[in-house]
Amino acid sequence: MTDFSHHEPGASGAAAESGVPLGSLSTGPVEPDGGAAAPARSPGAEAWRELRRKPMFWISATVIFVFLLMAVWPSLFTDIGPRDAVLADRWAKPSAEHWFGRDLQGYDLYTRCIYGARASILVGLLTATLTALVGGFLGLIAGYMGGITDTLLSRLAEVFFAIPLLLGAIIFLFSFSQPNDGFFKTVMSIVLILVILGWPSVFRLMRSSVLQVKPNDYVQAARALGGSPLRIAFRHILPNAIGPVIVVSTINLGVYIASEAALSFLGIGLQDPTVSWGQMIDEGSEQIRNAPHTLLFPAGFLSAAVLGFIMLGDTIRDAFDPKSR
Amino acid sequence: MRVTTRAVALLGASVMALGLSACGSDDGSGDSENALTVRGCNPENPLVTINTAETCGGDILDVTTAKLIDYDLETGEPVNDILESFETTDNINFTVKIKQGYMFSDGTEVKSKNFVDAWNYAAYQPNAQASSYFFGAAAIDGYADVQCVETDDAGACTKDPAAETMSGLAVVDDYTFTIKTSQEVSNLLVRLGYTAFAPLPDVFFEDPEAFGDKPVGAGPYYVDSWDKTKQIVVKKNPEYSGDFPGNVDQITFKIYNDDTAAYKDVVSGKLDVINQVPTTELPNYKSDLDGRNNERDMGGIQTVAFDPQGADAAAALAKPEVRQAISMAIDRQTIVDTIFFGTRQPATGWVSPVVDGYKAGACGEFCEYDPEGAKALLEEAGGFDGALGLYVNGDADHKPWADATCNSIRQTLEIECTTEVTKDFDQLNLYKEQNKVSFFRAGWQMDYPSIENFLAPLYGTGADSNEYSYSNPEFDAKLSEAAAATDPEQANALYQEAELMLAADMPVIPTWYPSVQIGWSDRVENVDIDPFGVPDYAGITLK
Repeated sequence: MTDFSHHEPGASGAAAESGVPLGSLSTGPVEPDGGAAAPARSPGAEAWRELRRKPMFWISATVIFVFLLMAVWPSLFTDIGPRDAVLADRWAKPSAEHWFGRDLQGYDLYTRCIYGARASILVGLLTATLTALVGGFLGLIAGYMGGITDTLLSRLAEVFFAIPLLLGAIIFLFSFSQPNDGFFKTVMSIVLILVILGWPSVFRLMRSSVLQVKPNDYVQAARALGGSPLRIAFRHILPNAIGPVIVVSTINLGVYIASEAALSFLGIGLQDPTVSWGQMIDEGSEQIRNAPHTLLFPAGFLSAAVLGFIMLGDTIRDAFDPKSR
Repeated sequence: MRVTTRAVALLGASVMALGLSACGSDDGSGDSENALTVRGCNPENPLVTINTAETCGGDILDVTTAKLIDYDLETGEPVNDILESFETTDNINFTVKIKQGYMFSDGTEVKSKNFVDAWNYAAYQPNAQASSYFFGAAAIDGYADVQCVETDDAGACTKDPAAETMSGLAVVDDYTFTIKTSQEVSNLLVRLGYTAFAPLPDVFFEDPEAFGDKPVGAGPYYVDSWDKTKQIVVKKNPEYSGDFPGNVDQITFKIYNDDTAAYKDVVSGKLDVINQVPTTELPNYKSDLDGRNNERDMGGIQTVAFDPQGADAAAALAKPEVRQAISMAIDRQTIVDTIFFGTRQPATGWVSPVVDGYKAGACGEFCEYDPEGAKALLEEAGGFDGALGLYVNGDADHKPWADATCNSIRQTLEIECTTEVTKDFDQLNLYKEQNKVSFFRAGWQMDYPSIENFLAPLYGTGADSNEYSYSNPEFDAKLSEAAAATDPEQANALYQEAELMLAADMPVIPTWYPSVQIGWSDRVENVDIDPFGVPDYAGITLK
């Protein structure tokens, strides 16, 4: 049983630096250990039960649902096309007919805000999912295997962790983007660079979480019963270690949406004819003196979407953390 | 060739706003009472007259060099500067006499060999000077002999030219030289005020490389220091012997990468003169800079150009009727009024209204917004299958008008049109050279105020700035005929006929004539704009 030596002295320190309370996660075991306790639930089910009771969860979920609907089916919200320009009505003020007014090109701002959701949400969702998958998987391997695998993966993660997200993305996109890249290619290149630079944070979290779960009795028991490493990692460790990753990924989703907006704002993210909030903010910010509404509305949409995801992440974190109950 | 780029680094500006890039520092060079600080931009090349083809370096050279002639501030008519007399009877053989005792800032006298040597150096292709083209365009005899016999793909000589000097230039004595051209050139005199034709002192030929950092000229100012990417300081030339001396003792061209920063500095009095107002401030500059602003039509034109040989060209673009229809689909007036706040003039032809020989309406109905007519014309020509990508350079403020232009075309003709933004002007030029693009913006700031400068260098077959693969033998013949005309009126009439041919072929669509807006601080007055759209720095006085 040399495996016991894998309980590293630094494990609890690594967990603390991740910023998410983890200590109590191991108190929700899936394995029957006492028999007399209430019906055993997985941490996920426990959290869901908790979530359903929180109004904040329903508010943020509604906000996110509306934004998702905009992204999937924008024409549900407006009859006007995003590229229907009436140049003569440039900077028209908000009115009953055009709720948010018009921008410099005479585009209907409300329509543009609606259509802008698709690119932003797509980048956010894809990036958050991929960083969770890549970082989570590698973190699980590093934490469970330990030894040389852990060292190698951790150092690799640190290399990428050292590059500032926005700076790295700017350099990457500025060097590799072409003016006539299509929607798909631009979205994918933004997602790719955000994933490359973003996975280490999830990786570290997953690794420290795994290190905390690993020494638990039920894991030892599974091992003693002759469970294969793969089964132990995915059946016993993963379900108990995934909580913090879900929480951070949900919060990061909002951060990635904001990053995409920042890149588009700098003119190296999404390009016309794709509509995105970052781009609209870029255009609006130049006209802040002349037509402030062209900045305020897209900025409001962006803030609402980011806030929605961060609030959701917050409530999920509370739900996963029994200490705060 | 001064292709305008307008050095507004939008990306650079935004990055700087994030604090990722250090800002230029103000070292308080305005200690001297009698000094000005004006907005400059970063010269592309060393400050050598014959190797500067863009406005950043050109603005400095304008105040540090004297040429044979100067252009009148009001009318743009040539006025003698170093020139004493200019004689010809046949527009082929010219005798140039220069004033005696005209000094360079290093104390040496301007002699005829300073002109002849400078021009020969510029034209000799292995020297790779940016202005070489002008000596060919002026048809100086023997220009072809100083061009490389063979070049490799990169443009470097693999077989040296047959001669080192042009046979058409000859020094008669210290103050006289002769020019012989290979064909008639009716407007040679007016060309001679362009920077490329300035004399270069003997010190240049000793070490051309070192000269570029601290050039010597015969202008009202001399370059005192050049702190790369920060500022260029010019001081009053104590040796200046011409009729147009500078007023203030020192001018600092402070280099800005961001138009808006320069604008804010001039509003708050930290900067004395800005040579352009950023587009976003156009609605406000007259109130922000009340009584301290000026506006003038400048000798230039903005166009959207076609290159039917471009890789992304739709087949229909090869038809002139299709290009005419696209031109008719552009609502120039509304774009000028909204995007440019009325600071441009819708173009009615290919020649700027400020030059001698301009005649309105050369483009006729094709430059008037006519949705129905455009649709009918397109249909007649067989419609349009494909999409248009309008390429503009991203380091200047082109996207708003390009979007509006595309929207106008798209909504009128139902042709998909999108703005494609390149990183910078270099990338756009690269794409054009590689024939990757078929629809792109083009701008032209005149080199000298003549109708010829708006036609020959742009649309002549194989001309240096003909990026449109345009070739029309009749047009070329008309240009030659006009160049040969001895009577200026008759020459202009022939050039106008040539311009009309452009309407039939529509190689580029004229969009609008630019104007320039400048502003200045409370400290200064008498800020005029020359016909090229550049502030007359030498004439500025302090209050």
